[in-house]
Amino acid sequence: MRRNFEDVLAGDELTVLVKGPLTTAHLMRWSAATENWHKIHYDLPFATGHDKLPGLLINGSLKQQFVAQFLKDWAGPDGWAWKIAFQFRAMNLAGERLELWARVTRLERAEAFGLVHLELGVRNGEGKESTPGSAVVALPYRDGPAVPYPFVPPVLPSAEAAGA
Amino acid sequence: MALLTDDVRSYIGRTSEPWFACDAIEAGAVRRYAQAIMDPDPAYAGEGRDRFGGPVAPPLYPAFMFRLPFGSPDYLTENAENPDFDGLATSVSSGLPELPLPGLALLNGGAEIELFRYARHGERVLQKSRYADITERQSKAGPMLLVIVETTYETEAGEVLLKVRKTLIRR
Repeated sequence: MRRNFEDVLAGDELTVLVKGPLTTAHLMRWSAATENWHKIHYDLPFATGHDKLPGLLINGSLKQQFVAQFLKDWAGPDGWAWKIAFQFRAMNLAGERLELWARVTRLERAEAFGLVHLELGVRNGEGKESTPGSAVVALPYRDGPAVPYPFVPPVLPSAEAAGA
Repeated sequence: MALLTDDVRSYIGRTSEPWFACDAIEAGAVRRYAQAIMDPDPAYAGEGRDRFGGPVAPPLYPAFMFRLPFGSPDYLTENAENPDFDGLATSVSSGLPELPLPGLALLNGGAEIELFRYARHGERVLQKSRYADITERQSKAGPMLLVIVETTYETEAGEVLLKVRKTLIRR
């Protein structure tokens, strides 16, 4: 469903996207889909014995796919998830359930569409944050056309916004 | 400045040759990828509104489609009896020359991504990478290097799909 810029307020929280619990089979499926054979995602003796990890790790590459999906779906068919930034700060282990969350921090009007600035993250079932980040999503104005596709970055008055 | 030697610093600004992924965007590969990330978006099958000009791949797909082409050495067999082999083939990561940092662990610190459009099924994708910056920081575990790699993913026609500015931690 189309989401318009006017429908969004600073402070709004996005509906959480839940992924998992993520089993070793989920991790193997992702490793196979990307032909990435890093053992810390499927070889428990290697992960715990050689690399001294507490268990098999959920791939950071998989977590960022979830972040991208979360923002893409929220942007809706006429919006565009333009910028996504995140830091891998903590591990998530096989068996954990991940919750993708985001909150609107700031709204900014460009000429042809609006920009929604968000803070976001990935927390596990115990509420521990692992992947804090931020994003900028372009949304159409209520009476305006869809955000251009392919996306063309707006010319903004503030240099701060351009670098956000 | 224990780690950031003049030699390492000389890599800042170095670029890779533009480099095509060995396979074009394939429907089956997109399906497996979309199922693995559990994103049932009908756009990946070309269903629904045709805003994108046909079936597309998930947003970050171009950054994960660079694989070993036919004729590559089989590093799994080569390392079958190497107890320290972690399963990674770092040479397929960016096409950039390896930094002279033997023995230092590599951690993925995060990324800043800018998205412009999706790759369509059948399109070929190339990447160009650059060492944008290398700085040294002190951490609780000792000195570490923050290596910033910028990569642009484009179509054969030169249309930019996405740009990724990745932070690699070496320590």
